Amino acid sequence: MTTEQTPQELRAAIARQFGRSLHIRTLDTGSCAVCEQEIRLLAAPHYDLHRLGFFFTPAPRHADLLLVTGPMIRAFEVAARKTYDAMPGPKVVVAVGACALGGVYPADPFTHGTVDAVLPVDVWIPGCPPSPLALLHGLGVAVGRLAEKVRDLTFTADDGPERERAIP
Amino acid sequence: MTLWFIRGLRRGVVTTRYPARPDASARFLPAPPAFRPRALTAATADLLAATCPSGALRREERTLLFDVGRCTACGRCAAAAPDAVTSSGAFELAATSRSVLIKEIPLRGEAP
Repeated sequence: MTTEQTPQELRAAIARQFGRSLHIRTLDTGSCAVCEQEIRLLAAPHYDLHRLGFFFTPAPRHADLLLVTGPMIRAFEVAARKTYDAMPGPKVVVAVGACALGGVYPADPFTHGTVDAVLPVDVWIPGCPPSPLALLHGLGVAVGRLAEKVRDLTFTADDGPERERAIP
Repeated sequence: MTLWFIRGLRRGVVTTRYPARPDASARFLPAPPAFRPRALTAATADLLAATCPSGALRREERTLLFDVGRCTACGRCAAAAPDAVTSSGAFELAATSRSVLIKEIPLRGEAP
């Protein structure tokens, strides 16, 4: 870790310096590639990530934001640390998907099980996989443009009339 | 386009709010479960915790701990206890701290 900033300071610096242009490096630490499919969909015309000033870059040295998927397999730990160290500060790490958040693989001799075991994660995006809409919201939260909604959700439902299920 | 541009100039607003309108595909997205505390007994909570393949559910005394980050929205809890579990419909779940994603669901008070 080279930056010694609080998350609030970091987000303020990101908003100031990268308000209109933020470059994203994706890092697959052993995911099943469905998260990558959803990330790729962000560049499709329907979601059009570039209108918001986000761009994908093939090199960590040009990246401001690291989008990490997968359960962080131990064989990838060195590469993940090198990628993080190669990025110029200020930088943001976003953990994407249930694997990266510890839901799918337990820590064992092959995987760390979570991304935050190796990298300092700033934003967590749940979902298996998170939809492009959820990813867009997560990127907005990461740069301080959108408010996080999950803090106020209780995941309880009252005993009122049966709510319409999304998929019957 | 031209009208929109002129209207934007007049108002001084060049962008729209996010989201400009609800996305039509959002309701087809798989979403984490929501629980009905009144139908949630300790036995049901134990059943749900045993059903969850990703360890997102855990009972601790009188609460059910639900780790949204671990949930894969597979729907097995809703299939195991359809009376107590429904779909939350929430998908914009990004959090700036991991602990925010761990929710405490109260269980139904048992009769003495």
